[in-house]
Amino acid sequence: MPLLEVENLTKRFGGLIAVSNVCFHVNEGEIIGIIGPNGAGKTTLFNLITGYLKPDSGKIKLNGEDITGLPPNKIANKGLVRTFQIVRPFRHLPTIANILVALQSYRGRKRVEWIKTPERKAMEMLEDVGLTEMMLEPAENLSHGDLKRLEMARAMALEPDLILLDEPFGGLSLVETDYMVKSIQRMHLDGHTIVIVEHKLHALMKLVKKVIVMHMGEKIAEGTPEEIAKNDKVVEVYLGKAI
Amino acid sequence: MPISVVTKYVRKAYTNFATHIFDAPPRMLAFLILIVFTVVPYAGVEPRRLEILTSANLMAILAVSWDLLVGRTGLISLGHALFYGIGAYSSAMLFKYFQWPIWVTIPISLIAGVGIALIIGTPCLRMKGPYLALVTMAFPIAFIGFLYYFRDIFGGEVGIQRLPQIFPIPPFSLNNRYIANYYLSLVLLALSSIIIYKIATSKTGIVFVSILDDELGSKACGINVTKYKLMSFAISGLFGSLAGSVYAHTMGGSATPRYFYDNTALIPVENSIIPIIVTILGGIGTIYGPIIGTHIYYLLNRYVFQYVIQIDPHIQLLIFTSIVVFLVVRWPRGIARAIVEKLEDLEEPREIEEIEKEKAKKVEKG
Repeated sequence: MPLLEVENLTKRFGGLIAVSNVCFHVNEGEIIGIIGPNGAGKTTLFNLITGYLKPDSGKIKLNGEDITGLPPNKIANKGLVRTFQIVRPFRHLPTIANILVALQSYRGRKRVEWIKTPERKAMEMLEDVGLTEMMLEPAENLSHGDLKRLEMARAMALEPDLILLDEPFGGLSLVETDYMVKSIQRMHLDGHTIVIVEHKLHALMKLVKKVIVMHMGEKIAEGTPEEIAKNDKVVEVYLGKAI
Repeated sequence: MPISVVTKYVRKAYTNFATHIFDAPPRMLAFLILIVFTVVPYAGVEPRRLEILTSANLMAILAVSWDLLVGRTGLISLGHALFYGIGAYSSAMLFKYFQWPIWVTIPISLIAGVGIALIIGTPCLRMKGPYLALVTMAFPIAFIGFLYYFRDIFGGEVGIQRLPQIFPIPPFSLNNRYIANYYLSLVLLALSSIIIYKIATSKTGIVFVSILDDELGSKACGINVTKYKLMSFAISGLFGSLAGSVYAHTMGGSATPRYFYDNTALIPVENSIIPIIVTILGGIGTIYGPIIGTHIYYLLNRYVFQYVIQIDPHIQLLIFTSIVVFLVVRWPRGIARAIVEKLEDLEEPREIEEIEKEKAKKVEKG
């Protein structure tokens, strides 16, 4: 049984069909990339899956359980956690407290019971992304790259079954991108299931085993990075038609 | 990383929660202020004048509860006097119709405050920002209308008079009652601000701040935002109604909606505005800032403007607000934060040395 099943998902904004009849599934331990030009509906798809938007039709199943239309916090507690394209830190709180918030949720509290102290767990999460030095700084003092990593740590603190990363490399420098690629690879090796939406194809293609290409709200191709690179339709979408 | 280092970091984090990030007052400062206020009745202050400080203390409880709701959770309420009124009226009604003693009616009025907060909060907290502010502004006005409409039950404009006093006159002399009321309000203020401060700096309080900073972000963390918002609203209502019911049973011995013929009124527009002005003056989100702000407000409005320089009551609020604007321009983050920052500046040199030492130790360890 696949971990996440998306069946015929459709979302309309007035006359615009943002996501149209998208089907895909994610198996446990997989790492999948979703690519597509701007406005292809990738982020809308994420918002639909994580409950920030309600789909007009279609079904989303996590571990075989129907999660369509549930509020975002319930979906997060069921083990499907996301990060945001534009970072959403709690800027008044120190970095470590940002993670303590996640550990205060239902799922988070269950996850720390056997470790006893949420602080220690939060420390470990920060260490994983290399933010130990910044632990006591208010999040508003962190750089953009640090915030991206903080958000990842915050999501990982819930020990998700499936994590959706929305443009994890957005606005990062080359060095930071490399660091991020490495930490995502490490997460994958640890057995986490990951779905990534990304524009930086160069970094993405190194990471993922399977790619889904979206265009105008529709899924136009699915396959390994090599297959996708050779796919005529995808090339057409990205580079335009051959004359 | 070895466990000992982790524990050290965690302890450091907690001391930091308690000093820098959450802007806690140094304990010494709080202690000194408490001593000053304890001495006030014996420092040549006329007992009758203590009523100013008593009402300031009770208003400070309302302002502190407002600060938890607005400064920490980001739910703007422009009608906090509602809880003041709910607390006083529920206690007064129980006395009027059942003649229950004060020590029963005041706790019940707290439950009423929480209940009303939950009833109002459940639908209204779905709104955000200015929309929530406008709706909350309507509630005290609607409540006054409700009291006037059922005037046979609630007494209309006159309200409910001749409530029992917490310190009744026969055993206490008039002067002693002023002093006893003052100490009661001081103890209640100290207790409720400590409790609210503890809540604000607990893990629940961290979640409140996360809702203030980014609601979508806390939803993504799996936080049931509605639950925490309601919790904040209920805590705020609890302390607001505590202040209201104690006010009715100490100051005038009456529950009156607006100023009628005496100086005690529960739900005039001023009572919704004062918590806002004093919190901004004292420092929003600090919890202890509103206490300082309220005392400045009452000192100026009820004492300086009346006895030192006579100013017509109609323009008192205008002058006070102008002073507040001036002070807020000078100290935009509030007077309380300015004081604490000054005190921290004095301590800073030592801290830098400590940090240097720690760094040196780390290098040694490799």
